[in-house]
This record gives sequence, structure tokens and C-alpha cells, in this order.
Amino acid sequence: MGRHFSTKFLSGLALAVTLGAAGIAVPASAASLKMAWKQDATGLDPHKQTAFSSIRLLELIYEPLVRFDKNLTIVPALATSWEFAPDAKQLTFKLNPAAKFQDGKPVTAADVKASFERILDEKTAAAARANYLSIASIETPDDKTVVFKLSQPDVPLLAAMASINASIVPAAEIAAGTIGTKALGSGPFKLDNWVPNSKETLSANKDWAGGKVGIDGIDISVLPDETAILAALRTKQVDFALINDPLVATLVPKETSLVLNRTPVLAYHVLQMNPSRKPMDNLAVRQAISCAIDRQDVLDTASVGEGRVTGPLTMPGYTSDTSTLFCYKKDIAKAKKLMADAGFANGFSATVIAANGEPATAAAEAQVIQSQLAEIGVKLNIKMMELNVYVDAWLKGDFDMAVALNGGRADPYPMYNRYWTKTGNLQKVANYSDDTLDSLMQKGRVETDPAKRKIIFADFEKHIVEMAPWVWLYTSYNYTAQQKTVSGFEPTPEGSLFGLTKVKLN
Amino acid sequence: MSYLARRLLTFPLVMLGVSILVFVAIRMVPGDAITAMLGTEAGLLTSAQRAALAAYFGIDQPILVQYWKWLLGVFQGDLGISVTHGKPVLSIILERFPLTLQLALMSMCVALAVGLPAGIFAATRNEKLSDLGVRIFAMIGQSTPNFVVGLLLIYALSAGFGVLPTMGEFTPFLTDPLRNLGQMILPAVTLGFAFAASVTRISRSAMLDVLSDDYVRTARSKGVPKMSVIWRHALPNALIPVVTLSGVEFGYLLGGAVLVEQIYALPGLGRLVLEAILQRDYALVQGCVLFIAFNFLVVNLLVDLLYVTLDPRIRLGEGG
Amino acid sequence: MSMLRAIFSHPSGRIGGTIVVIYVVVAMLGMFGITPHNPLQQYRIDRLHAPSMVYWMGTDLFGRDVASRLMKGVGQSFLVGVSAVALASIAGTVLGLTAAWFGKAWDGIVMRVMDVLLAFPAILLALLIIAVAGPGTWTSVAAIAIVYMPIFTRVVRGPALSIKSREFVDAARTFGSSRRYILTHHLLLNLVAPLTVQVTLALAWSLLTEAGLSFLGLGTQPPSSSLGLMLADSRNLMETAPWLLIFPAITIMISILGFNLLGDALRDILDPKTRSRTA
Repeated sequence: MGRHFSTKFLSGLALAVTLGAAGIAVPASAASLKMAWKQDATGLDPHKQTAFSSIRLLELIYEPLVRFDKNLTIVPALATSWEFAPDAKQLTFKLNPAAKFQDGKPVTAADVKASFERILDEKTAAAARANYLSIASIETPDDKTVVFKLSQPDVPLLAAMASINASIVPAAEIAAGTIGTKALGSGPFKLDNWVPNSKETLSANKDWAGGKVGIDGIDISVLPDETAILAALRTKQVDFALINDPLVATLVPKETSLVLNRTPVLAYHVLQMNPSRKPMDNLAVRQAISCAIDRQDVLDTASVGEGRVTGPLTMPGYTSDTSTLFCYKKDIAKAKKLMADAGFANGFSATVIAANGEPATAAAEAQVIQSQLAEIGVKLNIKMMELNVYVDAWLKGDFDMAVALNGGRADPYPMYNRYWTKTGNLQKVANYSDDTLDSLMQKGRVETDPAKRKIIFADFEKHIVEMAPWVWLYTSYNYTAQQKTVSGFEPTPEGSLFGLTKVKLN
Repeated sequence: MSYLARRLLTFPLVMLGVSILVFVAIRMVPGDAITAMLGTEAGLLTSAQRAALAAYFGIDQPILVQYWKWLLGVFQGDLGISVTHGKPVLSIILERFPLTLQLALMSMCVALAVGLPAGIFAATRNEKLSDLGVRIFAMIGQSTPNFVVGLLLIYALSAGFGVLPTMGEFTPFLTDPLRNLGQMILPAVTLGFAFAASVTRISRSAMLDVLSDDYVRTARSKGVPKMSVIWRHALPNALIPVVTLSGVEFGYLLGGAVLVEQIYALPGLGRLVLEAILQRDYALVQGCVLFIAFNFLVVNLLVDLLYVTLDPRIRLGEGG
Repeated sequence: MSMLRAIFSHPSGRIGGTIVVIYVVVAMLGMFGITPHNPLQQYRIDRLHAPSMVYWMGTDLFGRDVASRLMKGVGQSFLVGVSAVALASIAGTVLGLTAAWFGKAWDGIVMRVMDVLLAFPAILLALLIIAVAGPGTWTSVAAIAIVYMPIFTRVVRGPALSIKSREFVDAARTFGSSRRYILTHHLLLNLVAPLTVQVTLALAWSLLTEAGLSFLGLGTQPPSSSLGLMLADSRNLMETAPWLLIFPAITIMISILGFNLLGDALRDILDPKTRSRTA
């Protein structure tokens, strides 16, 4: 009796397991794209967010004046046309007359003016403020025309405006102080609901001036690890997913129903040192660390070789042959000599901070670097932090060293100006500046001839690698995975999800 | 009834102690509500702004006053505002709680469905080979951490059978029961594994106890068939400790299964606490811990009351 | 010696005892660094190598030897477990004894505080303590110790109360023995049995909790190895390198099983009332 009883229960249980695990077929809900990502947004203020996860969300909701397409050419967003005055000291935009915020109010020149004044206001602590400091005044001759008067010629300004950190937000919301608590943009999607660390519900903005969106909306779920995301893709629980971990990404193509999009990106993996702290204030110590690191080895181990070793300049047209850069080939003898010269023949200890899962390879990079630096006697302690805690410490410059994945731009000036000029708003993070960097940056900013700019920034690259405040490691790929039923997604080197506006579900 | 009276009296006392502990613990963490909310931007505040914020958060007052105000708030269901969610803590908890409740109920069903028959079966086969088998299995079940069970289960299913757990956006039961059950069954089995092992062990030993009692022996000697003795006489009494154990375990599960929710990507109470701790959302940590401890105490109290009702012979001693 | 014989003639004691002995040996080897390879050495050329003669349990993402890391990890969890249980049992015994001996207000305070600690689900209390103190090895020791302390306090206080009221203590008192003498000799001797059982079970529990905390990234920090951390690292590699999951998982299972079996056997041996009832 007993035996009979328990077998029945066990087989019943086995059946239940199989049923549950197989996943009962679900009626596809209309035409909303079901999407998954691991790292949720950390905030909604488009001017302040620096984390990729936030930018990925906000670029679906807010729009800047211009944006980059997949070839990194500047194309219209809120502005339909723009023009530099011949002396490059004035930039005029014509706004799209059809552009509306999601509450139905038109986007006016006054909103543009208010948005940039907010970004320029030091109290806002806007992430990209340093890129717009040449703006002396903003004029609005009519509702749809904005004129930026510049204090000096500033060609990279236009590229710098193609950023979600330069989004146009409603002047009324600025006055009400609700930027960051309410997401009200002019972009292709409306944020209907956000449950942090759990899900976002977006619906297509029917009045979007940019055209008709191919899907009714996006349901994003936050799944706490990438194995779960892969499982969700395989069981068709999600249509589209962001994948950060190259280890997981390489498993996607093995599945016949899935497509992996793999795009080289401008963002770079880097070991940041803090030259305001001892002994990283010593040039020889920093150079020794740079020489002791085998960048290819970091890439091969942490990122299973998915990427390429890079110098500071990651954008097409500016990349250089890395073998010409200072110590891009591991040189332990030289590193040891530099350490000895600096008086650290016996090494020292320092702490490196890294964020959990952002990038996915952070912990692995830290461990490879730790093992490489041990060869020259540097004892590295690894401190893993949750992303928002890490960002706090990072912004304060509160670290000895940090493993980071920093965003790239199509132009070197907006990409590095915030770190490497004396007035850069992330100077506190970089903690290093010198006159050479300052003057090269300034020259690059006002120079309009592309060939000359290239030379200027090549000098910049050579110099900063030699000063070694940071050790640039590699650039990797941006991965998205989708079901074969999803079509039309165009990835960009910025890793933007803006291409979702063209996606269709079959 | 004196036991009951004492139990009911100590309940608010313990709850008060819990609230003090939670309140003090959170205040031992470096930084205050202002730095927790603004992070680095707190450095940009003028001293007047800081004072205004301090007054807003009430942290300009003596700690006892702060505690008293917080406690008054708690009584009105006000657990504070979460910094990361920008919403009242209680509403966030109540959003996550149904999942945790459902998971706890399902795990209990799994545990009882497997553990009870297995335990009874083992008891009737006392010291035979099949009894030993059940006991070994129960021991292994009790010794395997649930996250290890979960990882091995996921691996075994996908590598061995090509079956994958259903993960994706969580669907509440009322929205789509089938899809919901599809998502919940594996986590429930994972949590039910150790739980079933405990049920097996306790029901086996309770059954053995009862079978050796005089009245059962008498019934047996009067020629009542063995199965009838087991089902009609022994089982009702043997169930008492099983009910108690299940109640206590259920109370634990209501606190959220941090690790299992993490593995199966379920947004339950356990993951909420973990996220709150990792992201230093102190109001949320405080609210969650208080909520969970409250549930845990209430369930334990109910279990005790049930125990006394089921078995009036019992006089629970000191400290019970 | 007779105790050892008793354990090894008890069926589950035999299995449990053997596992525990092997476990302790492995832990010691791991702790003192007597491992096939250096557990921190990254043989990056042999990354994700399947188990072989050179790497018995394969290598991980960095080319570190899994077997060596496993041994080191066992040593680490054992260190955490023993430290935590030592702390918990000493604090719990002192509190339980003093509560029973002095009674009145002190008893009330101690037992109510223990009630409060027991009002939290164990893992939650541990998480809360770590939230306050920050993650790390010694924080997990403290967290596990505080969570388990109330159980020791209760285990000690019960028998201490009944022994206190028994005649031989009264007799000792009338003969003028000092308080300390009574406490240490009579009470403690009668507490050895329940404490031994509880220590074994507490070790099993602390191994389990340490693994869980490290899995969540709140215990041992990389690159140190711990079983929980190894499991967490195996997640994204489960399909390409299953050995990263299987070996640590089985190690955790078997070691906890060993301590549980031994604990059960000890309970049977030391407390004959319950013999053969527990499965």
C-alpha cells in the first residue's frame, strides 16, 4: 500500500515538473515586444544618468536635437536642420514642427533653451556639462528656431549634442522640478510603468514626429542573471534581450531559433588609476602598471577573446596602431625597473573597485589584472560593489583603482573633454590633468580640418597613454539576441536600442 | 490557558524588540538618509538645504523621538519611502508578497504530497531496507542547500532532457494561471525538496511513536487490519507534529526564499530584501525586515495555538 | 575512545563520522595550502580545461585549478564554520548558564533578547547583520554566530535549570563549594551531551549558510575561493564547463550530510530516549 501510494505521488510530481518546465504555450499579446535585460536603469533624469542601463531606457523616451545613425553620421532628431556660422561661433537649429512631448504639448525653442540652461547650471550636476561650456547664450528668434551663440569656435559641439545627456525636456517640467521623477519626453515610447529591478512597460508614442513605430510597445523584464535571460530566450518567453556577458552571448548562435546581433562598440574597458592617491601619483608607478598589464590576455580571459585591444581613441577614423603606443606590449622587466626607480621595488597594496555585472566581465577583468600585477609585487584587493554604490564611489573619485566600462563618442573631444581638461566635470573622477592635454584638447576643439584634427588627437592619445593615468584595455561588442520572428533591428556602435523603433514582430 | 495567555502577552513585547533592533541596526550604517537619497550630490548641498532636508527626514531630532515617530508611522502602515523605487515601502512589499505567498503554499503542497506518504511508508516498514532508503533520501534532502538543489535541477533538466525552466516576466496567477504555474513549479519543487525531507522524517518518527502507543497495540491485538489501524487510529495523532513543522517551515518561506528567487529570476520578497541591502535602500530594508518578522511571529503564534487545540494534553514548558 | 567506538558502531554515525574526518583532513590541507596547484595561480593558457590527469576537476575561466580551489574553499568554509560555531556556543553557553543561575531580571532580559533574535528567519537576520557591517569573511562569521547563539542559549538554559534544582547542587551549596566550582563541574558536565549534538548540527547549518552568503556575493570575496562563490561563478558557464558546477555542488551536499548524520548519531547515542525514532 505504502509503496503504491508514494509511487503515484512521485509520478504525479514528475508530470507536474515536466509540464511546468516545458512551459505552457502562451498566446502572444498583441504586438508588444517582450524584452529582457539584466541591469535595470538606475534613474530617470536624462541629463544626469551615466550608467548604460539608464541610457538604454532613456533613449527610447527622450530625444536630443540630433542623433547618430549606425554609421555614426549625424542625423535629425528633434531638429530637422542645423547650420554653423562660417566662423563656427554660432550654431542654429530648426526644430521639427511636428515634434510633441508625450503630454501633447509641442516642443518649442523655449524648451530647448531651458534644457540647455539646466544642463549648464552647475547645481544640476549634469553628466555632460563640460561638453557645452562654449555656449555663451541661447536665443530663440521664433518657436521653432534656436540659436546657440558660442564663446569660441566649437565644431565638436554638434556631435556632443547627439547624446541622451543633452535631451530636450519640457521647460514646464524643469520649473516643476519633476525631471527624474516623471519621464516625459518626445521620443518614440512612453514609459507607462516602472517597477525598479523588476519591469518597465513602454507603449509606442502614436504622435511621435519621427514616424510610425512598428510595435505597440515594449515590456521589459529585469532578470537577475544572464543564464536566466538565455533560458527565457530559448523558451520563447522573451522576443529580444540585451546580453552583456560574452560567455552567454557565444551560446546564443547554437540555438537555431535565435539570432545574435554583435556590433563593435565605442565603449572601452579600462583600468582607471587615481593619480591623486599615493603611490599612483607617481608617474613611474603608473607606467609600471601599464607595462605589467597584458591587454590581450585580459581580453582573452575575461571576455573569451570577444573584442580587440584599444588605445583611448575607439572611434572609426581615429583608431591607431596600438603597437606604437607606450608599453602596449607587456614588458615585466621594464615594469620592475620603473617600480624600483619609484622606490617601490617591493611593491605596494591597493584596492580596485568593480561593479557587479556592469560590465559582466568586471569581476573577471579585476582578477586577471590582480594576477598580472602580482608579478611586479602590486598586491591588489578587489572590492565588488552593486552598480549604484560603485557609481557613487566612482563619481567621488573615491578609489585607488577602478575597473570600468566607459562610454565612447563618435568624436574624441566630447568623449574625453569631461575627464582630461582642467575644467572637465569628471576631472574629479580622472584626477589627472596637465598642460599638454589641456592645450591639445583645446586645439582639437577649434580645429575644423579633419586631417589636422586627426593628428592633434593622435598626439593626445600618445601623450595620455604615456602619462598612464588610466590603462586602456579593449573594446568589445554589444550583443542583443532576438527570436527569428523579430526583424528590422539596427544596432549602432553606441549600443543604442533606438533601432527598436523599426522592429516588426512576425 | 495560562500558556496561551503568556504567549499572547509576549507577542507585542517581542515585536517591540524586533522594531528596536531593526531601527538601531539601520542607524549603525554609515551615512544618513540624505546621503542615501542624494549620493554624491549631497556634497553640493548648502548647509541651509541640508538642515531643511534633515528636518524633512526628521533626523535633526533626538534618536528616541525619531524612533517614536517611526513607530507611530508603522502603526499607521507608513513604513517610509523607498529611495530606489520612489514609492511607499509598504506598497512595494505588497506588490511582491503575493508571489512569495504562492511560492510558500506551493512548496508546502509539494512537501506534504511527497513527505507524508514517504514518512508513513517508512514507518510501516521500520528498519527494513525500503525504510533505510527513504531515510537516506530524506537525510540528503535535508542536507542540500536549496540553491544547490535549484542549480543542479536546472542543469540536470537542460543537459539531460533539454527541458528549460520557464523564466521571463513574472505572470501573476490571476492573470494567466497556466503560465504562472509553469513559472512557479520548478522553484516550488526546489524549495519543497528539503521541506519534504523534514516532513518525511517527522512523519516517520511521529508514526512510529503512535504505533507503539498502547491503544494502537490494543487495536492491533483485537485483530483490526494493519492498514485500518494506520489510517483510522494512528494517522490523526501522528499528524500533529507534521502540522507544527509545516507551519514553522511555512513561516520561514513567507520571509521570501532569497536564493531560490535569485536563481529562478522571480521578483519575490526575498529578492526585494537582497536588492534593498545591495543598493543600500535603508527604508526598504527596514520595512521588509519588519514585515517579514511580523509574519514569521504571527505564523508561529498560530502554529502554537493550533498545536494546543489539536492536542489538549500538551503543556508546553518554559520558553516554548 | 568508547565514544568513538559508539559513533562508529552506529550506522549513520559510521557514514557521517567518515565524511567528517575526510572533510576535516581536506579542510586542513586546503587551509595550509597543501593543494595540487596554487589555487590562485592562473594558468591562462589552460582556461576552462575539462577534468584531466593534471587538473583533476578541470580549470575555471582563469585557468585556476578547480580541485585546489575546492580544497581551499572547503578550508575557508570550515574556518568560517568553526569560528562561528565556537563564538555562538561560547556566548550561548555563558548566556544560558547565567540566565539559569541568576534567574529573575537577568533571565528575563536574556531570554527576551533571544526571543527577538529568533523572531527573524535565520537567513534574513544574517543578511541584516551583513547589511550593517558590510560583506566579508569575518562579517559572515559574526552573522552566523549571532543567528545561532539563541539556540545554544536555550539548549543550555533548559537542562541548567533542572540540574540547578536537583539535589546534588543543593548539597554542594550547603557544603560551601564556591559558585564557580558548582557551575563548571556539575552543570557543564551535564550539558556536554546536548551541546555536542548541537555543535555538530550548528556546523552543518553554518556550512550551508556560508555557502549561501558567498553565493550571493556577501561572504568571502574574490579571488579567495569559497564553495558558494565557485557556484555563483559557474552559472554562466554551466553549459560549457559543467564541472565548475558539479564538483562544488556535490562537495557542499556531502559535507553537510556528513555533519548532519554525525549529529543524528550523537543524539541517538547521548540521548537514548529518542533512539531509532529519528530517521
